[in-house]
Amino acid sequence: MSDLLGRSDPAVVPTIGSALLRLGVALALVFTGLGLGLGYWQVVQAETLTTDPGNPLVQAAVRAAPRGRILDASGEEVAVNVRGPNGERLRSYPRPAMAPVVGYQSLIFGTSGVERAYDAELTGLKPLGPGGDMVRKFLPDPYDPSDLHLSVDVRLQEAAMAALGDQRGAVVAIEPSTGRVLALASSPTFDPNLLVDPAGGQAYLDSLRGQRASPLLERATQGLYVPGSVFKIVTAIAGLGSGAIRPDTTYATQPAEYFDGFRVEGFSIRDSPREFQTDDPLDLIEATEVSSNIYFAHVGLDTGPEAMLDWAARLGFGSPIDFDLPTAPSQVTNGDGPLFGFTDRVELANAAYGQGETLVTPLQMALVAACVANDGLLLRPTLVDRLVAESGRTRTVEPAVVRRVSSAGDAEVITQAMVTAVEGEFGQSFTGGAKVPGVTTAGKSGTAEVGDVARPHSWFIGFAPAEEPRIAIAVIVERAGTGRDVAVPMGGDLMELYLSLID
Amino acid sequence: MSVIVGVPVERPGAITSTLRRWGIRPRLRNLELLLLLLAAAALTVGWISLASQQAGRVTTGDPSVLMVYVGVLLVIHAAFVITGRRTDQVLLPVTGLLGGLSLLLMARLPQGLATQDLGSITLGLAPLQLFWLGLALAVLAVLAIVVRNDDWLRAYKYTWAAVGIGLLLLVFVLGDPTNGARLSLRIGPIAGQPSELLKVILVVFLAGYLAENRTLLARASTRLGPISVPPLPYLLPMLGMWGIALAVVIVQRDLGAALLFFSVFLTLVYVATRRRAYVILGLALFLAGATALYFLFGHVRTRVDIWLDPYVDPLGSGYQVIHALYSFGRGGILGTGLGAGLPAVSGTPGDLPAIHTDFVFAALAEELGMLGALAILALYGVIAERGLRIAVQAADDFRALLAVGLTMVIVIQAALIMGGNLKLVPLTGITLPFVSYGGSSLLANAIIVGLLLALSDRGVEPPPPPSPRRRFLSRGGSR
Amino acid sequence: MDYFTLTIWLVRIGFVICLYLFFFVLLRALWRDLRATVAASGRSLGRLVVVASPEGMPQAGSSIPLDAITSLGRDVNNSITVDDAFVSAEHAVLTFRGRAWYLEDRGSTNGTYLNGQRIQGVVPLGYGDELQLGQVRLRLERERTS
Repeated sequence: MSDLLGRSDPAVVPTIGSALLRLGVALALVFTGLGLGLGYWQVVQAETLTTDPGNPLVQAAVRAAPRGRILDASGEEVAVNVRGPNGERLRSYPRPAMAPVVGYQSLIFGTSGVERAYDAELTGLKPLGPGGDMVRKFLPDPYDPSDLHLSVDVRLQEAAMAALGDQRGAVVAIEPSTGRVLALASSPTFDPNLLVDPAGGQAYLDSLRGQRASPLLERATQGLYVPGSVFKIVTAIAGLGSGAIRPDTTYATQPAEYFDGFRVEGFSIRDSPREFQTDDPLDLIEATEVSSNIYFAHVGLDTGPEAMLDWAARLGFGSPIDFDLPTAPSQVTNGDGPLFGFTDRVELANAAYGQGETLVTPLQMALVAACVANDGLLLRPTLVDRLVAESGRTRTVEPAVVRRVSSAGDAEVITQAMVTAVEGEFGQSFTGGAKVPGVTTAGKSGTAEVGDVARPHSWFIGFAPAEEPRIAIAVIVERAGTGRDVAVPMGGDLMELYLSLID
Repeated sequence: MSVIVGVPVERPGAITSTLRRWGIRPRLRNLELLLLLLAAAALTVGWISLASQQAGRVTTGDPSVLMVYVGVLLVIHAAFVITGRRTDQVLLPVTGLLGGLSLLLMARLPQGLATQDLGSITLGLAPLQLFWLGLALAVLAVLAIVVRNDDWLRAYKYTWAAVGIGLLLLVFVLGDPTNGARLSLRIGPIAGQPSELLKVILVVFLAGYLAENRTLLARASTRLGPISVPPLPYLLPMLGMWGIALAVVIVQRDLGAALLFFSVFLTLVYVATRRRAYVILGLALFLAGATALYFLFGHVRTRVDIWLDPYVDPLGSGYQVIHALYSFGRGGILGTGLGAGLPAVSGTPGDLPAIHTDFVFAALAEELGMLGALAILALYGVIAERGLRIAVQAADDFRALLAVGLTMVIVIQAALIMGGNLKLVPLTGITLPFVSYGGSSLLANAIIVGLLLALSDRGVEPPPPPSPRRRFLSRGGSR
Repeated sequence: MDYFTLTIWLVRIGFVICLYLFFFVLLRALWRDLRATVAASGRSLGRLVVVASPEGMPQAGSSIPLDAITSLGRDVNNSITVDDAFVSAEHAVLTFRGRAWYLEDRGSTNGTYLNGQRIQGVVPLGYGDELQLGQVRLRLERERTS
């Protein structure tokens, strides 16, 4: 079109027409930009904006629409709607033991837990199917609240909460083949019914905040604990995976070091005293059975800092776990040292048996157990099985593979080691309490030292049946003593209960 | 000022011959009629949609406002036909559709947002907007029909400039401070915003000045370091313009008007000279000024900070911007439908402050969806296209520059406020032409479209022949 | 879904369709306009349409494309030969300067008229204007293809 813009005219110094063409192009760009802006907010960001808790639409929906119920795996109601004294819509929680999972929905304090994660679906603001948003715009009643079917079994959850009792701690149970979370217990917790009560809610919240045990802390997903010996499973995964060790790897100096200590740069690593000690060096399975710190310190040093971090990261360490609830990232080291984050080889050797700067969440350790149980394949943990909307639309949450962590062969070796730890001749005295009668049980206990004075954290991770695992579990009880005394029998009882429930 | 008298057409009928005796030669405008009828149809369907949504049953509601409006448009069309002006046939329907969408929105918003007491009756938002639209369209029609000659603009450009600066000073001195911004001027019962009129006057002056001096500005240069710039005397108007824009921001606290003035000015300078040096220099001045203003003045800083992150103060200064974004999100692709937007949902009318002035685009985008918002965007695109075409076909530089400048006033206004709604640029308090509520803005924009229509007429008086000075400087008068 | 909801749906879709129908017609018109201009710009600056020519040279109703300088008169050396008893040999000249047409009488006996008024010296003229030489009336028009 340039020729009509003046070039055919007898030209005066650069013609106005030629500048107009450029102006036209510039304006076209500006309008394209505005159009893209519209597309960004009205299509790309539309769902985020319409489900933003600050959106008056959301607030109106919370008041206007009945909220979907929350049910456990067997269809038991765990969150329902009731009318308050003034006719307002209130939530009621028939099973308060579910609080660490379900959270609360309060007109005053907002939401937490699954009530928060699935707020848009529960109120019906977020349509379940693709294209649902467009259809919804034409409906007179645009809200389609969904019922939430959880993967958590309320009976297992209540048993876990009861087992923890007054102690501080957490239990996480996962179905290894799917990643479904079967129980997610944190103790102490709160009673959501008291919290959502419009009259006494504020006072109750203040009292919760005042307690030193911090009942509002989600220990299962956000509590960071020294792992102790349960971390040896991570070291074994890293050692085998990186090729630093083989199942029959032994360290010739190890029997002597049991008596003299294993000196790493002047620091002496010792095993806890045990009654049986041979002059033959231990292999991986035997070392796991007797939980030898020295053996795993060797494995950690041979694996090296980089590979240790790398394989831990494959299991989910170092970043928040992709989960419906907020999670704290677990760490192998706090990362401020010169040796890939480790201060020195001493820290690396200590970390390898779970006593360095290593901090883990119970959920992370449950994932480690589930990963081994699932032949080395790490699945995304899920809390929700399916959503069923009022309109009948259903969305099923499918198992999702995060990544393959270990080869099936490595996982088999570690499983064998963990079975030996529970059922082996020597292992029995540490972890035998986890044995589920009549079922091959795999497990690893842990006694995590936290300072010189305080009692250690009591840990257990494991799964059963070992041949075809149905449940993987992580149990931590804070400052409760050795793993053998507290966490191990608790883990065994809960696995036994669950296996009996699903029979 | 002589009026071109029509010459006899080939087959005069009885009526046409009578009209011809009065010097009137009717001319059919079929495209305009077709477009107007389509616009009227669209607005009618929209009105039914709105009324039905609000009533909860299928109804046309009280269509008097819409009928009056469509009537006004058709009367203007008839006037164009009878007077036989050969003006552009697209601008009136496009303007009319924008105004109609505005009426739909005003009828849908709470009527109490703007009221005018007339003794016994009180006019609400929609009737008031109808009144202003009618008045604006009348001004538009009168300008399009009557203006056949541009001497009164061309010859007195410095007078116009003086009038403009006078208006500005008047506002500085006598202005009504509302929300900290001195924008409106009250004379007796009538309150107006002179800065709206200032936009038009400014373009007239700049077109005159640039048409006269563009050869010099385009050619002469002084080397300043590595870049070649025009000699200093020719830069003075640019610096003066920059100063006026700064003054508007500082004294009048009107960021939007300043941005508009300056960008229209830069565009015109570029079109007149095609020298990037001016644009770069202008942008450098703009950046320098903007940075200084940002650090010196709280209201500028607030605007920019909200733009960068409205969530810093979601219930205070960021409220409007965030809620405008919510509106866009709620609208989605197809929109909630007229009358079904948020105020109906939450029962809190006027959820968005200044929804009828600054946030009309967000409101329409919510109820009409992205499809409707894109249509509105396209309407301004069409205005831009027509304006540039009129400029291309203009008989001389003054008319071309005038057409470009007038078009840019509307287009840049629209782009700035739509961009502000979309959080693409900082939000400024300027109006969306023909859609936002407000008499001054409607009148000023109607004057612009009226002048564009007059400029588009191929039958208007030709411009005076090039002056000797210009002929000397140009490469030759004819080829 | 009830009757009312369905109707509202249809009305809303109808509104969008109407809006876009408006655009369809509009864009078609703009496109034609643009094509016409592009085509025209390649050809000539304008044309003269012969409104009346009693002696048939040039023929009434015919249309003559214009050069930037077009001379009119009875002499055959003119760009346009106007064979009329009241037209001088070198009657008038039309020139395109800058962005507009200008008309100049070249000292003809009977004068040149623009829109019914006799011209003095150089006068500008716009498209649609009518000029008269002797009995011949011509209208200046923009070149168009459609």
